[in-house]
Amino acid sequence: MTALATFFWGWLLAALLLGFGMGWIAVVHRAQGVSKVWIRWLALLAAALVAASFTKIVPGRFGYWLDLLLVMFALYLCGCAVGSWLRDWVVSRSKPAN
Amino acid sequence: MHRLFKWSSKWWPGVVPLVIFWGIAAWTSTPTVEADIAARSNAALKDTVLDKRRISVDGRDVTFAANAFSEDGRLSAVASVDAVPGVRLVNDETRLVPEAKPYVWSAERDVVRVTLGGNAPLPSSKGRLMEAAKAGLGGVEVVDQMGLARGAPQRFDAAALLLLDQIGRLKDGKVTLTDTKVTLAGMARDLGGREAIAAALKNLPEGYSIAANDIQAPPYVFQAYKDPVALTLTLTGYVPDNNVHAALVAAAGRKFFSEKVVDNLKASVGAPSGFAAAVVPALGALSRLSTGTLVVSDREVKLSGDALYDAAAGQIRDGLGKDFPQGWQYKAEVSVKPASAPVDPTVCQQLFSEILSKGRIRFESGKADIVSDSAGLLDRLIETAMRCPNTTIEIAGHTDSDGEDAANQALSERRAQAVVDYLVRAGLPANRFMPIGYGSTQPVAGNDSEDGKAQNRRIEFVVK
Repeated sequence: MTALATFFWGWLLAALLLGFGMGWIAVVHRAQGVSKVWIRWLALLAAALVAASFTKIVPGRFGYWLDLLLVMFALYLCGCAVGSWLRDWVVSRSKPAN
Repeated sequence: MHRLFKWSSKWWPGVVPLVIFWGIAAWTSTPTVEADIAARSNAALKDTVLDKRRISVDGRDVTFAANAFSEDGRLSAVASVDAVPGVRLVNDETRLVPEAKPYVWSAERDVVRVTLGGNAPLPSSKGRLMEAAKAGLGGVEVVDQMGLARGAPQRFDAAALLLLDQIGRLKDGKVTLTDTKVTLAGMARDLGGREAIAAALKNLPEGYSIAANDIQAPPYVFQAYKDPVALTLTLTGYVPDNNVHAALVAAAGRKFFSEKVVDNLKASVGAPSGFAAAVVPALGALSRLSTGTLVVSDREVKLSGDALYDAAAGQIRDGLGKDFPQGWQYKAEVSVKPASAPVDPTVCQQLFSEILSKGRIRFESGKADIVSDSAGLLDRLIETAMRCPNTTIEIAGHTDSDGEDAANQALSERRAQAVVDYLVRAGLPANRFMPIGYGSTQPVAGNDSEDGKAQNRRIEFVVK
């Protein structure tokens, strides 16, 4: 997959930046978060998709699309984590010391 | 970590544009990714020898179909494709090229083309055979109907190339290699082609052998034409070698006493056995004809023309075949020349003198046996004698001065008598001829030279 990154690196970067943006917002966002039950189910789904990818049971183009999705999703999550952590660091610095 | 977990519960809204990005990325990159993988897979197999190679890419999965020429080659080809970066799965649809048993290869030549058929072990050997055929056959269309199969005998290429060379020597025919057995059939292009092929086949690689060689040679033709007007004997066609050539021309010179021999013979191999032994007597028979053609084609001798008189025609028809080697056939189409007009005794004498000035009746040395070379000359003398039926003719025998006079006298008498006997056997009445021996008493040249002696040894016809 790494060898093929030249063909879609722009989209990977887009996923990373998207994640960074989302992570940046999430820290101060007041919207309702996903419930723990949902997170569990979604994590399970993600694990299942990763397992499907590694076992190569999805054939042909669908297999490629699954790999692409997982790579983009992983980069999105990385972007989110970095974004959230940075925002948190910026917010905590700007608070007046008590 | 706990905070990270708290934030992550609010990350989900970004998933919606992410999925849209993913959709666009998948839509745009799939064809280019597939094309790239296909190109690199093909490049990886560039040096691998495969037949009917087909690569199709679906996403990152490669479906690889090909016929390999060995199990090792097949496995290494699959491994090469599997090792191409970006390839996720290889659907292996490769198999081994079928094995042929028996292993047959053939080359067939007809009027316009050469067709190569059967099997070759590798594409490279197939290509080499096609190239060799095109190069060796200069301009003849070469059709490739060869398949590929495993199981070729060792040194197949060398054997097939050698056989392909032989196709150039054929006018039409087929060469087949079945495992290590060679079968040949057809017609050689030239005289000697059959022998050349047989000689070349001795160089077949070790282990190969000839199962059948049915190559035919074009007929070996020798022709002689006696032209009574131009007074020539024209020899055309082939003779086996220079010795036979010289012998035949010499025999023709002895037998055709008044004709000039025009020698257009060429030496060539491929003569049937006993060629000279058959052609020399056949030339003798031709020499007895007024006009005629002798055609020797392989082992068939065909003589046609006009004999000078009835008895001669009968002798020529019946007598010649007996002299031939075994296996030879003789076909005579001999008619009799219309009898010439009678002449008076003076003209008759002139004719005898004229004939005997051109040639002499020859005998075995020291004997009274007429040699067969003189048959043509005697026929001419007999024909002349028939034109003056009312004359009496003295047959005078003469010798040279070698030996005792009494012996010479006796020999000349016996030789004169032998000639008379010959004339009588030809149907002339015995009472018209008077054999007389003169021994060496009437020389016409000096007896001090071989040439003079030869002139003195003679038979004369004197009309009384």
